[in-house]
Amino acid sequence: MLSERDFQISPIVQESMMHNTKALQNLQSLSASLFGISAGILGLESYSGFLFYIFFSLLTSFLIYLFRVAAAPNSSPKGYKDNKGTGNGLGSGVGGVKKYFRSGFEFWAGGIMNGFAGFVLTWTLFYGLVRA
Amino acid sequence: MTWISNTITVFGGLLLAHACYSAQEHAALQSFRAAATSTLTSSTPVASSLPVDIAIETIAATLVIVLGLVLGTRPLRPIQWRVWAGKIEREGEEGFLGNNGEVEKDYMGNPFTYLESRPSFVDIHRQRKEFAEWIKNGGGGTGKK
Repeated sequence: MLSERDFQISPIVQESMMHNTKALQNLQSLSASLFGISAGILGLESYSGFLFYIFFSLLTSFLIYLFRVAAAPNSSPKGYKDNKGTGNGLGSGVGGVKKYFRSGFEFWAGGIMNGFAGFVLTWTLFYGLVRA
Repeated sequence: MTWISNTITVFGGLLLAHACYSAQEHAALQSFRAAATSTLTSSTPVASSLPVDIAIETIAATLVIVLGLVLGTRPLRPIQWRVWAGKIEREGEEGFLGNNGEVEKDYMGNPFTYLESRPSFVDIHRQRKEFAEWIKNGGGGTGKK
């Protein structure tokens, strides 16, 4: 866990953090409603619906990781190494999620919490619409 | 770049709407057949599971829309101060382009620009020369730089 002294040594840019979190939350709430629609069309019930949601949320996180974190252009100059031997200026080789988010948990599992209400809403709505 | 993600999303939306309509029609047909058969014979429960092609279409549409949405998200920014400031120093506005190729509205600029305008570092002689030339050229609003 990072302490206050760590933040003094390597400060955090609040604006960038808010920007990233907002981008992620927009996507997550939108996609959660979308998953609700498909779960309703498929007619899933109880556990299978929740498993469907968890699976697709993780898939969304993985897609963001693929297109926005891993594929982001590395801005460091060629041959640049910081004191930990990594090229991204972070000193941590954990896939680069830490470059954009405070914790990896927030990135990978935050979507499951954020969009859950929207998912259940559209799930029940479309289940009722299709099977009425 | 936005049109790619928008096209993908709209295409997925069409697929999803079609799948939804198909599923609805299938359910209506099932209930109709169940009602028809129950009047003729004793109740024979009809298997009302979704046809596999509708299920496949739904899942494919979901994947396509998610792909479009992910491609449409704005690029992330580094949160560590040193990484972020280094990116600005090296790339300037180029590093903060949105999806549509324009600089994002909340891009704040270089956090170190104030260092360039500190009084001790202002070149007064050059400024005086520039001002004299500006006067010589007429001093109008459209003076040469």
